[in-house]
Amino acid sequence: MEHAVHTRRRWDPIVKLTHWGIVAAVIGNAIVTGEGSGWHIWVGYCLAALLALRLLWGLVGSREARFSAFPPSLARVSTHLREIGSGTVVRHRSHNPLGALMAYAIWATLLVVVGSGIVMSGPPPADPWAVSGEHGEGGAGGEDAEKDKDGDDEAAARIPGAIGNLVIAPALADEDNEAGMEGEELYEEMHEIAVNLLYLLIALHLAGVLFETRRSGREVVGSMIPGGNRRN
Amino acid sequence: MTTRPKPPTLGRDQQTLLVAVVVVVQAVAAMFFMADALGDLSEAGLTRHVVIEALVAFALVAGVVLGAWHLRILLAQAERREQALIVARGALSDHINTCFREWGLTAAESDVALFALKGCDAAQIAELRGAAPGTVRAQLSQIYAKAGVSSQAGLVSLFLDELL
Repeated sequence: MEHAVHTRRRWDPIVKLTHWGIVAAVIGNAIVTGEGSGWHIWVGYCLAALLALRLLWGLVGSREARFSAFPPSLARVSTHLREIGSGTVVRHRSHNPLGALMAYAIWATLLVVVGSGIVMSGPPPADPWAVSGEHGEGGAGGEDAEKDKDGDDEAAARIPGAIGNLVIAPALADEDNEAGMEGEELYEEMHEIAVNLLYLLIALHLAGVLFETRRSGREVVGSMIPGGNRRN
Repeated sequence: MTTRPKPPTLGRDQQTLLVAVVVVVQAVAAMFFMADALGDLSEAGLTRHVVIEALVAFALVAGVVLGAWHLRILLAQAERREQALIVARGALSDHINTCFREWGLTAAESDVALFALKGCDAAQIAELRGAAPGTVRAQLSQIYAKAGVSSQAGLVSLFLDELL
């Protein structure tokens, strides 16, 4: 164990680039881009790519970056908590057990955010300036979809409900549409809840980094910043 | 480590960083191409344009995976080199101590032998250890006898031989 930590801890460039890329994307989509706008969708897709790359890197990446280096394990967490309680500092090459749980939680949340976003937006618009998509509707088809819905509603209204069984097809179409609308709202809800959860996790993550830095030194931060923890 | 010339390791760091940046850009491009191809596929069906787009997307994804794999190898090599250097440094001093023990050198003789290995002559060793030159010369001849060599150069070459 002793000689395993001869070298100072430093994350590899893929981990750093994806980490800070995702940070930039989250900040960009939280503050800069309008909700559901073309740029929001583009930044979201960039985030999805970075996340996908990081998850791929978890399978084929460097030793510290692979999932096998930081399995989510409650047993390890309880050991870790006991260490914190007794004030012993054990250095970890990869995430510490609590940090590992945080990483998985953030990735899972990001997957929900990205997934619901993609379902709402469809493929990225060719010209991000052209789409100023209003809240939630998202995507180039936003207005069209709304028009379609109105049209269908009118069509449905024109058909007397009493006919019942005879208008199976339109009724089904109507149901589909309603399901679609509910689906859209569902995804919008998912997107928003997941994003709020993400903010909470980010706050916890920062608190965790701060706590660990005070407990066991600057290496935690240094390992993630560009050029940090150089060996000299 | 501080006095060592830095350029080679810095070059390797930059090389891995460059590959990493390319992999990241490729991943983003692959994501957009894939999303675009899927969008076109659902809109227009399987046209020639979509097939080509899908091919490009596939090539990009394959590039990302291979790039990541290549990067992993680069990083593993760098780590192995670093470990080897540490091992080599520690190993030589370990090896020297083991030899001294095997030859049955006393503690004082081991000290003298180490100075001899570092190139000091009998007078210098005597000065460093605060001993009489005659004592040190006697210890040196004891050491040579135990090591089976006839001179200081012979003693040094025993260890140099291991490294070459």
